[in-house]
Amino acid sequence: MSHDDHRLETDDQARVDALLEHGFAPSAGPDADPDAGPVAGLLALLDTPIAGEQRAVLSDLTFLRVIRANEEPEAVLSQADAEALDSWIMAGSDAARTELPLRERAWRHERLAALATTPGPAFDGRAERVERTLAMVQEAAEADADRMRIEHRRGRAGLGGVRLADLVSVAAMLMLVSAIALPVLSNVRASARQAMCYANMGPIASAMGLYAGANAEALPMATAGFGGTWMNVGTTPEQSNSANLYTLVRTDHIPLAELACPGNQHAPTAVVSPAAWDWRSHDELSYSYRIVVPGQNTRWRLFVSDSSGPAGVLVLTDRSPVTLRASRGEPIVPEANSPHHGGAGQHALFNDGSSRWLESPVLGSGDNIWLPRAVERVIHQVRSRLGLIRGNEVPQSVEDAFVGP
Amino acid sequence: MRFVHCVLLGSPRGAATASRDVHLSEDHLSDEQLFERFRGGDAAALRTLIERQHDDLLRFLARLTGDRTAADDIFQETFLQVYQSADTFDTSRRFRPWLFTIAANKARDWLRKRSRRKTVELSAPVGGGVESRSASFVDLMEIDIQPPDAAMDIDERDRLVQRALEELQPALKEILLLAYFQRLSYAQIAEDLGIPLGTVKSRLHSAVASFARAWKRVSKELD
Repeated sequence: MSHDDHRLETDDQARVDALLEHGFAPSAGPDADPDAGPVAGLLALLDTPIAGEQRAVLSDLTFLRVIRANEEPEAVLSQADAEALDSWIMAGSDAARTELPLRERAWRHERLAALATTPGPAFDGRAERVERTLAMVQEAAEADADRMRIEHRRGRAGLGGVRLADLVSVAAMLMLVSAIALPVLSNVRASARQAMCYANMGPIASAMGLYAGANAEALPMATAGFGGTWMNVGTTPEQSNSANLYTLVRTDHIPLAELACPGNQHAPTAVVSPAAWDWRSHDELSYSYRIVVPGQNTRWRLFVSDSSGPAGVLVLTDRSPVTLRASRGEPIVPEANSPHHGGAGQHALFNDGSSRWLESPVLGSGDNIWLPRAVERVIHQVRSRLGLIRGNEVPQSVEDAFVGP
Repeated sequence: MRFVHCVLLGSPRGAATASRDVHLSEDHLSDEQLFERFRGGDAAALRTLIERQHDDLLRFLARLTGDRTAADDIFQETFLQVYQSADTFDTSRRFRPWLFTIAANKARDWLRKRSRRKTVELSAPVGGGVESRSASFVDLMEIDIQPPDAAMDIDERDRLVQRALEELQPALKEILLLAYFQRLSYAQIAEDLGIPLGTVKSRLHSAVASFARAWKRVSKELD
């Protein structure tokens, strides 16, 4: 027990002070207080020797004594009532289902509960309260969305500040929202992440273009060849395909934050080490970059008006779920979408600078962006050969679980 | 960091109208199904949840705090917290106990903030001291507990019930109301509050005994 909960009345405190000053003799003071007697009597209950400097101890002990002395005895249920309570609770708070010998007492428990839970005077303004509550949640959600956007922008600015243009764009977004007045609850956070991720495509394309302009239209490249595997993210930069993309950061063509998708919580937004050549692990990757092979002559083409050539070559997408799973030794799902946007799809950047949202990794041509053609062929063959059920198959044995239509 | 995938957009009036149209078809869903929908971005589901829990939760908070204005405020804060903590809710569990536990935590914070220091008068009668503090057995058969529908002034009964509850220590009042409003088993209460089953049982016994004794005292005013 502490002082925090209880204090002496002011008058009583004054009486205790007076007693202390006059050596604990209630009648010794010049203006003897008639109520000082009970106080002195109470103090006499204390066994502790009193000295002037022990005033705090005296005060504490007095508190304890008075408070404990005035406390009520602890209320304890009679044995029968305790059993009835247990029985009532075990019966799902339904006295009718309790054992007969305890039922009468269980009814009493039920009535006691009803007393505490039965409505008192009605609360006014139910509809307004519901609206206010919804509005409060709405406000918090909108604030979250704004904060995410500003934080993201701040990270992109790389200067720890918000640019005027950012504020204008947030304001524009809010005005747009307000103008459309969509009466729906939408997945704004996911949409905001998707929009921010999409917004990265522009700076990435610009960086690619600048890099290509200075490097004979070549896509960023750091490795001379993989010589084994291109999956060694962060361990052997000379064998890592992501190190090729990291070249853009290393050569100051783009801040690292622009290569961080908000959908990936592990993506770093600031360079950890100026000497870094690559991201540190698969988890940190936000985008999957075309496997760059020397000699294949994949170029960055800025002439989008040139329609005579083939369709744009895919250069970069949201992180591939296939290489992510493969790097963990897990079985791959070829048709899965990128994990960054709730599996809804992925952004794709082409070498003509255009970007698109793909709802499936399989392009119109049948090409799966996560896989090389050779693997796609094998999968196709396996599926066409082994994946066929004609309808005349039967379980091998009783133990062979096999259900039909 | 994971995020709740939901937010209300547009004008409140527009949102409210649309939500009402949709929520008519959601009444058949369980609380947990509604919550899952809310987490997936369905505003109407949140509205249905709020409306469904409105009466009980508000009454629970009013009883716990003894202050109807505070109950109103905490009611809103509770649903705000539901939004903010939505990612942490395991939908294999039940929604309502989670909601009431959040509400109880909020109410506890409120009570703590406004707790006043009690004053003690030294001239008050002094009992026999610690050693004489003993148990007072409560027998429900000796207490007049009328069914709530018995002829009784609602306002008066409400005032007396609240007075009886105010006599309980805060921890006892909280567990008593959680148990009474939720009709849970000891094991469920233990799981929701994160305290041992034995503690739940002994604390609830003590809470019921204290409430019954307090009711016996205050209900004499009805006679």
